[in-house]
Parts: sequence; C-alpha cells; structure tokens
Amino acid sequence: MVSEALAEVLEEFEAIEDRTQRFELLFDLADDVTELPTDEWSEGNRVKGCQSQAHIDVRVEDGLVHLRGGADARIVQGLMGLLSLGMNGQTVDVARQVTLDIVEATGLLNSLTPSRSNGFRTMYDMVMSTMGEA
Amino acid sequence: MVDPADFPILSRTVHGNQPLVYLDNAATTQKPAVVIDAMDAYYRHSNANVHRAVHALAGEATDAYEACRATLRTWFNAERVVLTSGTTEAINLVAHGWGRAVLNEGDAIVLTEMEHHSDIVPWQMLAKERGIEVRYVPVLPDMTLDMEAYEASLEGAKLVCVVHTSNVLGVRNPVERIIERAHAVGARVLLDAAQGAPHTRIDVKALGADFLAVSAHKMLGPTGIGCLTITQAAFDEMQPFMGGGDMIEHVSLEGSTYQSNEHKFEAGTPRIAEAVGWKVAMDYLAEVDLEAEHERLLGIARWTAEQLRSLGCTVYGRHGDHDSAVVSFLHPGLHAEDFAHLLDAAGFAVRTGHHCAQPLLHRLGIDSTVRASFYLYNTMAEAEAFIERVTHVLARFGGNA
Repeated sequence: MVSEALAEVLEEFEAIEDRTQRFELLFDLADDVTELPTDEWSEGNRVKGCQSQAHIDVRVEDGLVHLRGGADARIVQGLMGLLSLGMNGQTVDVARQVTLDIVEATGLLNSLTPSRSNGFRTMYDMVMSTMGEA
Repeated sequence: MVDPADFPILSRTVHGNQPLVYLDNAATTQKPAVVIDAMDAYYRHSNANVHRAVHALAGEATDAYEACRATLRTWFNAERVVLTSGTTEAINLVAHGWGRAVLNEGDAIVLTEMEHHSDIVPWQMLAKERGIEVRYVPVLPDMTLDMEAYEASLEGAKLVCVVHTSNVLGVRNPVERIIERAHAVGARVLLDAAQGAPHTRIDVKALGADFLAVSAHKMLGPTGIGCLTITQAAFDEMQPFMGGGDMIEHVSLEGSTYQSNEHKFEAGTPRIAEAVGWKVAMDYLAEVDLEAEHERLLGIARWTAEQLRSLGCTVYGRHGDHDSAVVSFLHPGLHAEDFAHLLDAAGFAVRTGHHCAQPLLHRLGIDSTVRASFYLYNTMAEAEAFIERVTHVLARFGGNA
C-alpha cells in the first residue's frame, strides 16, 4: 500500500475534471517538498533529461526515507511533491510501493513533454536506486 | 486573411472541449485542405518514382515533382533550386557541397549570435574538420545585429551565414546591407529564411543572396521538404554531397560522373508527395496578399506584446515594420514551462524552451521564453482570447516562480 497521504491526493486528482484545477493542485504539491537549498544543487543530484532545472536528494536513515528537492518550474517541483507524499518520512518498504503510474494518475501526463516525462522517470530512478542501496 | 475553414485541423478541440487556438506557427504551420488532398490524390492516382521509368505514372510523378521546383524558381526568382528535406538539410548542403569544395584551413566564415542551431552546428563541424575560423557577430541590447562588428568581421571572410528573420525575436535583419558588404569583400552569403520566407516574398536575385534556405512546413506546406536556392555562380563551385541514385550521369566500377543540374544534389528517391503538396501550398500562398497580411499580423503581434508588457511580462523583440509576428515573453512570477502548460490547458498552443537558439538566449541572459507566433489564419479575436487567458493564468499562478 502506498502512503495514506499519496493515496488521498491521487483520489483528489481523480475527482477534478478541470485541467487547470488539476495543475493548481500539482502547483500546491510543490510546497510539500522539503527544500534542497540551491547551494546544495550539484551535478550529482541534478535530474538529467529534464527541460528545467531540477535537483533531488534522497537519503535513508534508520530505515526511513528522507527526500529533499527543488526545481525552477513549479510543475516539476509539484511532481517531486507527489513523490515526497509517497516517500518522505516513510519506511523503505512503503516508499517502494510508489510506481511511475502516479504521474498518469494526475491526469496531466499527456501534456508533459517527453523530456519532462523522462525527467520524472530519472527522478524516480534516482530515488529508487538510492533506496536499493540502503 | 485566409479562411480558417480552409484548415481542417483548426476546427478541432483539445483536452476535451477546449477549442484549439494555434499560436505555434514559427515551429510549423497548419495545412490547408487543398494541400492534404493533393498529397492524398498523388498517392491514390499518380504514385511512381521520378526521373527513371518511361511509363505513364512515372511521367506524371516526374512532371509533378519538377512543377514544384519550377514554382519555387519563379517565386524566389532563383537560378537554381535544390529540393532538400528542409532548411537544416539545405544549410548542411551548403556546408558539405560548397564549404568542402571551397573552404580551406585558415579561411574565415561569419555567423551571428542570432542564428538557429541549424546555422551554427554544421559550420562548427566543418570548422573542426577543416581548420576554418568562425566569427560571430554579436546581438546588441536592442536585439539587432551589431553592424559595426559585422563590418569589422568581414576581412578575409569567404562566407557569411545570417538568419533573415529570427525565430525567437521576429527581428528581420538588414540583409540587403549585409549582402552588399559581404559581396564587397568577395564573400558569398547564405540566408536562413525558414522564418522570413513565410512572411514576405523574397526575391533572391534582387537581394543578391547566393544561397537561401527554406522549409515548406513553415509556409503551409508539408513537413519533410524544403529547398536551397543557389546562384549559378555558386552552383558551379559546388561538389556533390551525397552519392547515389538520381544524382549520377554514368557509373562504372572505375568511377562515376554526375548530373550537371540540380539532381546532382538530390541523391536517392526524392520527396515526391511532399513536392506535390508544397507546390499546391505555394499556389495557395500566391492568392494571398502577403504585404497586407504582414501589416495585419504585425498589428496583432504589437497589440499582444503591449498587453503582455502591461501584465508585467518582459517581451523579447521590437516588432519593427519588417519583423515577423512572433512574440517571445517571460513573466517573473511564472516559469516558462509552467506558463505553456497552463495556456495549453485552455487550448492555446504556444512554444516554450530555447527555440534551438541557445547562444541568442544566452546573450539575452535567459534560458527559455514562451513564444506565441501568428500566421495567416490567426485572428485578432484569438489574440484577445489569448491575452484573457494569460491574464487569468497570471492572476491565479503568477506568484510562483
């Protein structure tokens, strides 16, 4: 099972018909990202393949996942927010339940450019591989 | 203006029930039904390879293909017209077909910071291979070329490559003066007219352009075809770029001889259906008063730019009398990518990103813009609806950068 917070927000997306309102919700999710200060943005934590500037840092401490990130485009940071809801502060087992399908569940996937989708995939892979090493 | 009803795609909706407002014309234009029908009819009735067999269909296909060339020759008043896959291939043809035949180590060529990547990268590749010096003319803060720097860069130059009209700024460069000065030092001139040709009728003989590169799809024609116009003098200096069918005169195992006309640069089976479609697009354009349309579209672009400024946006471009109807902008409170997604949510198609002109954006101190570009079927009512949507988006999301 994914975290309750993520399940709730995915239900919210499903309930919204209007595309602009869905973007509004995604924008709001950007605030759910624990900030990775820009002075910690490095080549190592850069999300490659993303059209905008995006950085993500993930650590596992005492079995819990800690995710921080930041992006110059609000939509990208919103997607990070979605990941955060499913992963941040969760056990590795719970965090691993998050799949790439969550982007599609926002109902906005069609408008995401291939490089944006690739960017999300890269972001997701970065997080998953770090958890794999933990 | 042309009748939007001529363009089937313009009546569709996107994202459910949002009417499409297509403002990404600098990327590609929509096609009138006559173009689509002509390509369909070609495949249904006349499809055959060209310049080879003697059968009836081959004759029809050859005539149709060559009719496109003849139309373009007249339209641009050109001595030679080579059909290419588009502007990019046309420029690469100059680099490989002319550059490799003429340029040697130590020679200099002049480009500008305003160029599309298609007019930078082929030259960087050739420069690396041949040891050629590439000089770049800077863009001034008023978004025009530094003409003093241009003149200073000409000494010893063999070729000048310049964009006729910028795809980011819509700025139309003083190509008459650029060509005159280049010719004064014996340099040839290549104009990238991907954006210029759709908006104004270009006469290459009157301008004196040695090479002019054009894409069909930016002027109502199909994708996958474009052309390079060449003066006879420059044509005579060129060597074949690609080898293969259609470009040969005779092949033996010891060696080959080549065609003496444009076919020399059209190796392989060419884009026949696309040529058919482009010819019809050119005939359609011939019925349009392009000068009047230029005035109308520039008026829409100027109004849009003014409204965007009043909404707190920075507009990149000056919309001078000969500039194209392109409006590039940014807002300090909303990232360009976010802006474009929110416009798209309501059916407004715009471009965002670096527009394949990273050196220009770097000079402007930015890494992307939102770009709305207008063409023959766009209306003032669409511009008003666009501004209404921008106003709404900024009110709701404008504090988010």
